[in-house]
Amino acid sequence: MVSSVINPVIAIAINTFRETVRDRVLYAFFVFACSITVLGILLGSLSVGQDIRIIEDLGLTVIAIIGGIISVFAGTNLVYKELERRTIYVIFTKPVSSWQFITGKYLGLVMCIFVVVLAMGVFLLGLIWMVDPTHHMQLHIGSIIASLALVFLELLFVLALATFFSTFSTPIMSVIFTLSLWFIGHLGGSLLDLSKMSSNPAAQQLLTALYWCLPDLAQLTRVRSVLMYGKEPSQEIIIFMLAYVFAFIFFLLGLASLVNERREFP
Amino acid sequence: MTGVNVIEARGLKKDRVSSFLLKRSPILDDLSLTVREGETYGLLGPNGAGKTTTVKILVGLIKPDSGDALVLGQKAGEPEALKQIGFLPENPYFYSHLTGYEFLEFIGQLFALKKKELKERMAELLELVGMTADANQPMRKYSKGMLQRLGIAQSLINNPKVIFWDEPMSGLDPIGRRDVRKILERLKSEGKTIFFNSHLLPDVSDVCDRVGVLVKGKLVAEDSIKDIERGGGYKDLEEYFLTKVGG
Repeated sequence: MVSSVINPVIAIAINTFRETVRDRVLYAFFVFACSITVLGILLGSLSVGQDIRIIEDLGLTVIAIIGGIISVFAGTNLVYKELERRTIYVIFTKPVSSWQFITGKYLGLVMCIFVVVLAMGVFLLGLIWMVDPTHHMQLHIGSIIASLALVFLELLFVLALATFFSTFSTPIMSVIFTLSLWFIGHLGGSLLDLSKMSSNPAAQQLLTALYWCLPDLAQLTRVRSVLMYGKEPSQEIIIFMLAYVFAFIFFLLGLASLVNERREFP
Repeated sequence: MTGVNVIEARGLKKDRVSSFLLKRSPILDDLSLTVREGETYGLLGPNGAGKTTTVKILVGLIKPDSGDALVLGQKAGEPEALKQIGFLPENPYFYSHLTGYEFLEFIGQLFALKKKELKERMAELLELVGMTADANQPMRKYSKGMLQRLGIAQSLINNPKVIFWDEPMSGLDPIGRRDVRKILERLKSEGKTIFFNSHLLPDVSDVCDRVGVLVKGKLVAEDSIKDIERGGGYKDLEEYFLTKVGG
């Protein structure tokens, strides 16, 4: 009974993972990301004693951006590609429900993004080891792994956004919607500040309501900065962040399943 | 063949709605038909008659605007019905990144088949469609005929009771058509209920027990092959078809 529910999800996830990792574009992105990270050595040599710091900052930013680009483009094509190639006919004439399809597709991309972040993270650590004359990796490894985990958490959210939009709009529109919400997510705090500054109560309420409806990802960046300065964020903040991001992911995937459930495949 | 109705369509209506002016034009107009257990039914009709739409409603890919579609007593598209059917879409395009073997394995996993059972079934089906030697090739290297054969194999992975094939012989060379005919005959001898669309009337005539003729979404004629060929006053199925569609 359980296997009849879980097996299709696993099968779709593995198929999606295979499809994404066998796409050559992914490797082009990986090489591009590694090349920019290597540029950090050059930039680092221009600073005074901050070369490792610059490589770390640049490397993590590149991982976040390239990972984000891969998530947005792979996620927004998720359902569209199946429709375009008419492979969706084969899936939805089997005992596969909408939520199993969406969950499987999402998990497949999550696996792919995990591998990408892991590979780029290993490359970054290797580069730091090479550049650091003392080769004391223990000084960097903890904060880098924690920062990579935060980047991955953010990418999980971006993927869920892209998956949701892919169920009802074209890839181009999905990319625009996903990038816009991702960007707004990093400016969410400004909405709250603006509502506090406003003297109009209606505007205050509207801005506050908007803040609560839109995702707030700025906290993730703040915690990443704290980590890079060698400090540890409080446990409450970490638990809150995890709960916040996962609640959003469940909400978005639930909505995506509902939208897909009502869809026809002519 | 028994008297049990396996496929039932009652008063199916489906309109095409234009995206700009929302103008409606009928694709299916009050379509009713039944297929009994073990029967091989061919749905014939000119291009745009609504054959593919009918099959898509019966396998649950689209919903009718009104009317009922039942497969094995269940509403079309319900999981219980889907577990017992096999579907081959028209011009199947599968996953180019997978090999034929990986694709069949994927389809078997969607039915939650056990590993051992799936492996045996895959070997049996690859043999049946003559694809054993090419199963480990990526699907992007397959010819249209090979994709069609693999499509047939995936439609049979769950050993279905009811089979829906949309234009199973389209794009196949004469050898491929002969092979598909043989597979159909074998499935028929196993007692499967088969529903398929085709333009290739000699093949339909060889395999089907009964045919329906669909014109502009309406079922204009329905007869058994025996009646058409022996007592209907028609030279062959082609003459019957052309008479009914007014061609």
